[in-house]
Amino acid sequence: MNLINLFRSAFRSVAANKLRTLLTMLGVVIGVASVIAMLALGNGARAAVDSTFQFLGANQIQIGQRNSMQDGEYKPMGQKLTYQDGLNMPDAVSLVKRVEISASKNIRARFGRNTVEISASGVTADALENITNQNVQPVNWPEGETFAAKDFMGEGRFFTPEEVLTGAPVCVLGHQTALDLFAGDNPVGETIWIERTRCLVIGVLVEMESTDVKNLYKSDPNQVLMMPVSTLIQTLFDEEPSVYMIVHVRDAERIDEAKQQISTYLRERHQVQKDETGAYLDDFDMTTRKDILGQQQEAARTFSLLLAAMATVSLVVGGIGIMNVMLVSVTERTREIGVRLAVGAKQKDIVFQFLIEAILISLIGGLVGIVAGILVIPLAASLNNGVALLLPGSIPLAFGVALLTGVLFGLYPAMRAARLDPIEALRYE
Amino acid sequence: MSISSILGAHNAESVIRTEGLTRMYQMGNNTVNALRGVDLTVLPGEFVALMGASGSGKSTLLHLLGCLDRPSAGEYWLEGVKVSSLKPNALAEVRGRRIGFIFQSFNLLPRFSAWENVSLPLAYCNGKSSSSIQRARAMEALTRVGLEHRAGHQPTELSGGERQRVAIARALVTQPAVILADEPTGNLDSTTGTDIMKLLSELHGEGVTIVMVTHDPLIARHAGRTCTMQDGFLSEGGSRHEFN
Repeated sequence: MNLINLFRSAFRSVAANKLRTLLTMLGVVIGVASVIAMLALGNGARAAVDSTFQFLGANQIQIGQRNSMQDGEYKPMGQKLTYQDGLNMPDAVSLVKRVEISASKNIRARFGRNTVEISASGVTADALENITNQNVQPVNWPEGETFAAKDFMGEGRFFTPEEVLTGAPVCVLGHQTALDLFAGDNPVGETIWIERTRCLVIGVLVEMESTDVKNLYKSDPNQVLMMPVSTLIQTLFDEEPSVYMIVHVRDAERIDEAKQQISTYLRERHQVQKDETGAYLDDFDMTTRKDILGQQQEAARTFSLLLAAMATVSLVVGGIGIMNVMLVSVTERTREIGVRLAVGAKQKDIVFQFLIEAILISLIGGLVGIVAGILVIPLAASLNNGVALLLPGSIPLAFGVALLTGVLFGLYPAMRAARLDPIEALRYE
Repeated sequence: MSISSILGAHNAESVIRTEGLTRMYQMGNNTVNALRGVDLTVLPGEFVALMGASGSGKSTLLHLLGCLDRPSAGEYWLEGVKVSSLKPNALAEVRGRRIGFIFQSFNLLPRFSAWENVSLPLAYCNGKSSSSIQRARAMEALTRVGLEHRAGHQPTELSGGERQRVAIARALVTQPAVILADEPTGNLDSTTGTDIMKLLSELHGEGVTIVMVTHDPLIARHAGRTCTMQDGFLSEGGSRHEFN
């Protein structure tokens, strides 16, 4: 019998017992839905890391001040992570290529009668390079076109390395900030007041929009005031602040080795002590993309494990359900099997007939499960910090799992049907 | 020997020939001798009635003739081919192509229309022939039994007589060497039963070879030849008791 006829015939017997079929496929539905949701959680964690921490490249290490809880509030541990720590690092640590150093402070900027309250960012001369992978793009940028640092520069220019080294009193404004202060006039060449310091506006950024679909960072990318980090520290802080660094390593493959080197360098500079067990009491934290990914996946893993267990149990229970129903069906249709054998069906014809029925039930269950799984993803996301994203590959996989369930659990009843003695089967009442 | 060469051997004189056909069953510690060396020859175009009391072995013989079972001893040639030594798959092929069954309880598949039931043997023996060809041949067979107008109906929508006609059409559709009928009127009232027997007689008249099991002498009279089974032995002619 050809495959089309087999499927048509299988569909007819499956459709003849709608409620029974429906109940039987429930296990497969839940199992397949769990598979979809499980993979969505893992995928979501990965995607979240990719989009949220896009700025941290594979060859980059983020270094910040370590804080500890003291008297009910977080206070910096040990010595501060300073501008000088970062400035000297490329010379002292062989694997470090360059270091982006940044700091920020909430300030009031004024031009004429206009003032804005804003977080001023102290940055290095290459800060604009990094903006290209921070989930922002110039507005109305053609879809799919790549953009470079220069595409973010509207009017004027960005800081030079010399300006950063010398702490020149210059600044670059974001599109909205420029509008707020200058109301449409060209700010380049004008001098503004930042707190009690005069600062020359040397550039304005283009208008930007967020490309982060989940919009995890809600701050307006156009409300920006940037200064050389040295200028910010010298003019706006009374005492040396802790800075934040992004270290670019020469070789991404050797990032762990670089971490070791940086630790040694910082421990020496900060005279880090050991505790009684011999572990260093580091006053800084280093994070790589791999670390963040690990943390995110750790969070998703618990859920995934739970879902994997649920998927396995459901699929086994579903499979047993299919086996049970198929065994009942074989018994109910003993006479039919006898007739088929009498009119020329071979054992393999009977095996295929019942196997295809089992597969049909599991495949329909699989389809419903896939739809259910997709519908359940938002729920899974709400239980996992909003992180769950359908993995397209999970659909064929779930389909395959359903198919496998049908084959595995349908085989025994099918073999049993095929082994029936035609004479006994024809006599069966 | 390949299946096709087995099935191609149609040039023998007899349709059915058995020699010393024996069938024993093991029931617990007892051995039941259902058939004790049956010699039977059926020539092309014959209509043979197999009679006998229940337990006489007539159904066992019919099952062996229908290749549903294999003998414990003895030989069976169908159209000159020794089928008693064939493997299960080859036997299935023989059943599908060379034998047509008619059962007492019709044995039509529920939820399948009349023509689909009739085309069932074609689906197994001509798996590669298109559905339209299968349907055409099924319609031809249904026309032969006068049921072409009921082709789309399911068994539950047909009367007993109509169901048996569908079953006969199913038996005819592969143009088998022999039709084996097991009490074909057993589940029908006498009028309908007579109609069915008329149909079988007509088919016989057209040259179809038929072997029919029955315990009813009135039915057996439609056959050209009667054999009687008793305690596993076969004898020609009806028993005295049955003809009285």
